[in-house]
This record gives sequence, structure tokens and C-alpha cells, in this order.
Amino acid sequence: MDDDLSQHYQGSPELLMFLASTVHDMKNSISVLSGTLEHLLAATPAAAPAAAAPAAAPAAPAAAQSGEPQYQQLGQMLYQTRRLNDSLIQLLALYKEVGKPGYPFDPTPHSVRELVEQVQGQARILLQSRGITLTTDFAPDAIWTFDEELVIGVLVHAINNAIRYTRDRIVLSVRVDGDHLELRVEDNGDGFPPAMLDAGAAANTTRARGAAVNFSNNSSGLGLYFSSEVARMHSHRQRHGSIALENGGQLGGGCFIVRLP
Amino acid sequence: MTAIVKNDGEIDWGEKRYLIIDDFVGIRQLLRESLRNLGAKHIDQAASGGEGMMLLAKTRYDVVLCDYNLGDGKNGQQVLEEARIRNLILPSSVWLMVSAEKSVESVMGAAEHQPDAYIIKPITEGVLLTRLNRVWLKKQIFREIDQAYADKDYLRAARLCEEQIPVNPLHAIDLLRMKATLQLKAGDPLGARAVYRQVLEERDYNWARCGLAKILMHDGEVEDAQKMFQAVIADNRFYIDAFDQLAQAFQLQGKHEEAFDVLQKAAKLSPNSVPRQRTLGQTALKLENIPVAEKAFRKCIDIGEYSVAKTVDAYFGMARVCGKKNDTKEAIRLLNAAVHQFGGDQVTLRAKITEGLVYHETGDLRRARKSGDELEAMLAEEGRQRPDTATCLDMATLLFAVGVKEAPVGLLCYIARNNHDNVPLMDEVQKIFDKARMGDEGVELIRSSRKEAADMMNKGVLLWKSDRLGEAIDWMRVARHALPHNMRILFNSAQILISRLQQTGYVRELADEAIEVLMHVDAIAPGQPRFAQLMEQLAMLAPVSGVVAAAAASEYEAANGAVPDR
Repeated sequence: MDDDLSQHYQGSPELLMFLASTVHDMKNSISVLSGTLEHLLAATPAAAPAAAAPAAAPAAPAAAQSGEPQYQQLGQMLYQTRRLNDSLIQLLALYKEVGKPGYPFDPTPHSVRELVEQVQGQARILLQSRGITLTTDFAPDAIWTFDEELVIGVLVHAINNAIRYTRDRIVLSVRVDGDHLELRVEDNGDGFPPAMLDAGAAANTTRARGAAVNFSNNSSGLGLYFSSEVARMHSHRQRHGSIALENGGQLGGGCFIVRLP
Repeated sequence: MTAIVKNDGEIDWGEKRYLIIDDFVGIRQLLRESLRNLGAKHIDQAASGGEGMMLLAKTRYDVVLCDYNLGDGKNGQQVLEEARIRNLILPSSVWLMVSAEKSVESVMGAAEHQPDAYIIKPITEGVLLTRLNRVWLKKQIFREIDQAYADKDYLRAARLCEEQIPVNPLHAIDLLRMKATLQLKAGDPLGARAVYRQVLEERDYNWARCGLAKILMHDGEVEDAQKMFQAVIADNRFYIDAFDQLAQAFQLQGKHEEAFDVLQKAAKLSPNSVPRQRTLGQTALKLENIPVAEKAFRKCIDIGEYSVAKTVDAYFGMARVCGKKNDTKEAIRLLNAAVHQFGGDQVTLRAKITEGLVYHETGDLRRARKSGDELEAMLAEEGRQRPDTATCLDMATLLFAVGVKEAPVGLLCYIARNNHDNVPLMDEVQKIFDKARMGDEGVELIRSSRKEAADMMNKGVLLWKSDRLGEAIDWMRVARHALPHNMRILFNSAQILISRLQQTGYVRELADEAIEVLMHVDAIAPGQPRFAQLMEQLAMLAPVSGVVAAAAASEYEAANGAVPDR
């Protein structure tokens, strides 16, 4: 254990401090950017009918589609900002060697209801602005042990990804399946292209770092790698978590599946 | 007793008082906007840790949102620590630590002052509300338990945990963790052990593995404990608590070099801990590794600057380092600085001891002798309290070394009287006598001191057994005055006072006296089963539950400094 302890810290302390404060700055900027965009979207007329509805209710797709071009553009900006945030989270996790013992992994018991609420809360305004309906399906009393920040990161990324592929609907469902928790993000688009399905299948089988996915094909490789590492870090009695990509599911489009022991 | 808390509370966040501490104006505006959307009306803002402390000193906030990274000066963790230690936040207050990325601090295991929750940027209203509700609910569940804990009624607190577990499955693990902590405080390691094993059946939580290993270590199964700490570290490289404990396990096995290695790694992973740098410095000093000791003590002084954990030990350690480097002048300057900054009789006394050691080590025997004479004079002063046992031993060693005789003999006899049934400590005292070429006299002195203590105790017990409780109480007061640190006498003293209360009914003065004695004994030797039992008996006698104990405890702390805890 001793040799790779310092591996992570080989850079000079000054460089590390510099990196940390730069990340801090970038996160601040992204926070302000996406926060401001959310407030603008909430205040822009096209969003009025949806914003007036209770938070948990699905957005009205018609509102966004018939909205002003300005509203559409704000929605596009928010979407891109969120993608930027996802990538930053994933790059950081990669830098900190997610999946290795050096990563600050913190699994604790959580309510599935709170998990879904938080994911929904993060995606709500973006989904509204794109005219996409998100429905959820979960057992409200279920409790499971996982690293909350990481799992929220994976699910929000999966939803942001589904926003790109779906026609107008996304389902987030969580259920206890024997000794696993199964989380699914499904959409009613045309499904994943074959290359993505292959990459998804490879993500669980290959252990070697970097070889799990082909980073060169596109940025979705990073997201897949991140998600599979997060799933794999969750382990219990020799069983590890996993991810899967499928086409079909209850909406007939793409399905992203995480299973946690 | 209030009803058991159920999982359906709706909270009005509009009327709460909020404080936002962040050095970035954009984030402050954003958070303020989000809070307003939750209905908040009273929101204050601070742009730095210092400004935050000023506001915290003026207003009792219900919710504090504090950025971890605050630029120059205090960081978020230090603001939290200071606010907690200076009692500027209520136990019911919610402290959310905001950070840019997944914080290492959140998984370190034993950070002394944990915030109620960590939130990672960007913060959305939904996440903020979920976390606020979650923390509030948890505080409701733990309110009575925390109160009993603060009152040091550990047995009752542990029972309360048990009552909450079946109705709060989401917090079952946290409740079990608290229960085990309480059982340890109450001197019931077997109970705590069973709880940790029960939790580990469920899942391999690192805190439970560490908790179990700590018990094994104290039970003498040091090698098993060592392996468990190593397993935790292999699993989670940031679990600092495991490093600190592993170092102790090595030290117990006499493997000082290994302990030193582990401490160095821990200090590298998490350098901003005053106690860790202090332990590293002291271990390095013992191993004569002067460069590391110097670095550790210097760091300890630096980080102490902004921390309430600031310690005088760092100054004494640094002075020793200077002595080893033959820089007597700098050593004396540091000792003066320590006395000036920290003040108090104990610090003055310890500074004088360190001064003597430095002179003695650098070969300046004339000045060392002078320090010794001054120490002797200080000890002879009327009414001056003796320092803790470790300092007494240091002092006796030094005084013998510089050729003083009467004062160190007095100190060692004092230790023997106050610890008459502590056999390993008696061996240590005998060794100091041996080294001063007073072996035979030492044997006799220790024997008579121990007998003196035993006689005093027996007289009290005899009076108690023959039901002359009034006389027994008076006698124990005399015994306590003569032997202020003797655990057996202190416990018996409290026991006799409680027997009296059980006969006569509750009398405030006697109850307060018993509590004062118990607080004192818990401060010098925490985690005694007899402490927990006596506190529980007292709590049952009190007309209002908890209140009396809490008041007495805070009075004791006001007079004697904080009781070392957790």
C-alpha cells in the first residue's frame, strides 16, 4: 500500500494548490452561469404555464415548443452549461482516480425517494425548457446504501444524455431487485447507436484503466467510464455494481441501467 | 419524554435566520436568491471567515451555508470549529459546508467537528431543500440523545438510541454508531463490540471496522487491531482515523519507527490537523529525528494561528528542537512566547521544566540547576495545584537530574498517593527513583504513600458501611483535599454522597458536590463504567431530568477548562 500512496501526490504541492483553486473557480463560474440561466428561464414568459405547476408535476411540452426563440436559446445555453458541468465532474473524478482506494468514496444509507427528488430537482428546469416530460417510478420507502454524490452525478448525466436522444419523454425508475438496487433512465428516442451499445458492454468486462472504453470515439466515452467506475466502486460481499446500455425498455428508446449491490 | 420522531415533518424554512459565508460575490447572490425562493427573509452574508465569525458572534443563526475554500485566512472547517467551540451556534442550528468538489474531509472518519452536511456546487434549490429537511429531521431524532450525551447520562442516551432504531430505519446505522460511542463512554466495551459486529454483518462500514479495532487494541489484541486498521486503509486511503490508530497500535507494540512512518503519511494526507502534527513532532523528538520534529512543530504553530485547537505543546516541542540544535537563545524566546500567549500556572510551570531540559541537554548545568531551584520554589508556593501526572513525572526526572532532591521525592510520593492501585504507573515511578540512585528508599516511599491512600479510603468505606453517612461525607472531603486525583477516592466520595441523597431525598448542594467530583474524575480518566452508573443514579434522583447535570458540567468547565471529550 505504501508505494502508490504518494503516487497521487507526485506533483508539487504548489501545482496541486493551483489546480484545486482553479477547479474551485471553474465550479463557481458554472454555478453562477447555470443558476442565472435557471432564474432567467423561470422568469421568461414561455415558461410561465409550466413554472406555475407544482414542482413534481411533469412539464407541459407545448409551452416550450410554442415559446419565443429567446426561451429556446436560454434552454440551449443551460443544456450546454450542464454538459460542461458533467464533464468537469467526470474529469475531476478521473483525476482523483475514481474506483481506486485514493478516491473519497462515502457510501451511507439513503432514502430512494430523496435520491429521486434531488435528481429531479436538478433536471427540472432544463427538462421544462426542452419540452421533455420526466416521470418517475420508485418505492417511496426503499432505503439503500450508496455514495449519494456519485450516484446523483451518474443519474443526472444519464438524463442529460437522454435529453439528446429522446423525442419527448424520459422515465427514471428505481427498484429493489433481490440483492441489487436497479436504477433505469429510459427514453422514447431512436435508441443508442450500435457503437455505444458495444462500448457499454465493454465497460463492465474490461478492468484495465482507460481500456474499458474507447476515449477517442467521442465524449460519451468519458461518461460511460465514469459511470461504470462509480458502479464498480459500490461493492458488498464480493459483489460489484455494474452498468448496461440497452434499446427498448418501457418507452422503446434507449435505456441506461445501473445496478448497485 | 417527548414522542418518538416520525419521518413526516414539514418545516417552515421562511422564518429561519440564515448566514451565507463565501468569498465569491456571485455565489453569495445565487445562494441568497435560492434561499429567497424557499421563502427566507432573514439572510446575512459574509465575504470571509473573519467576517463570518463577527456575524456569528452577534446572531444565533438557524442555518449557516459556508464555503470550504475561503481564500486567505480561516477556511470553512476552521470557521466551523471556532463557532462550535465558542458556542456561537445552537445545537439545533444546521451547518452546511459547500465545496467545489467531493471533499476528502467528509470521509476522513474522525474530523472532530463535522458539519451537518456537505453540498457540492453547483447548488440547486431542490438539493438545498432536500438537505435542509434531511438534517432537520435527523436533528429531531437525535435531539434527546444529544441532550443526554451533553449531560453525560450515557446509559440513558444509549437506551434512547435503541428506542429510535425500529421507527427510523433510515437512521438505524447512525443510531447504532452513536449507541456504540455511548457504550464506550459508559465503560461498556463489550456492548460496543457487539454493536460494531452487528453493523458489520450489514455492510463493511469503515467507522465500524475502526471502532471494533480500537476496542481490540485496548483489550490487548493489538496485532489483530493493527491488521484491521491496515485493511481499512487499503480500502480507503483517506480514512485518516485509521492512520492515527494504526500509529498507536505500532507504538503499543514498541514499533516506534513504524508508528512514525504511519504518522508521517497521515500528516502528508491531511496536514492541517494540530493534534496530528503535535503527535508527529513528539514521536519524531523521541526518535531524535530533529528535522521532522522541527517541521511538524512549526506546522503545528502555523495552523494553530487560525485554529481554536492551537496548542502550547507545539511551542514546548519546538523549544526542545532548538535545544537539540544547540540554539538555546531561540528555545528561550519560544518559551517566553508560549507563556506570554497562553498564560496560566500550568503553562508557566511546564515552560520552566522545558527550560531546565533544554539547559540540561545543551550541557549548561549551572543554568539547568537554576531552573530546577526555581521550579522547586514554584512548587512550594501555597495552594498551587500540581500539574497532570505526565508533567509531574517529567518534572521529577528533571529535578533529580539537576541535583534537587526533596521536591522530586515529594512529587513522586504525590503521584503514588493519587494512583495507589495503578501498578504500571508505580513501576514507572520506581524506575525514576532507581535512576536517581534512590532505589531502596523509593520502594519504601512508594509503599508508605500507597498505604496512606488506602488507609484514607478504608476509613471512609468503614464509616459508610456502618451507616454513619454524615461523618463519611465529611471524611471523604478531607481525603479528596489530600488526594485530589485519586480515582478510587473520588468514586467512593460520589457514591457516598449519592447514598445520602437516596436516604434524604434530593438536596441541591450535595448533588452539585457529587456532580463536581464526577466531572473531575471523568476529566482525568474518561470511559469508566462506574462514572456512567453513578451519573445515571444521580439523574434519577434529580427533580428535573438533565438540567442539574448540565448546569454543573458547564460550571465545572468554566472553572477548570473544557473537559476533554470525544
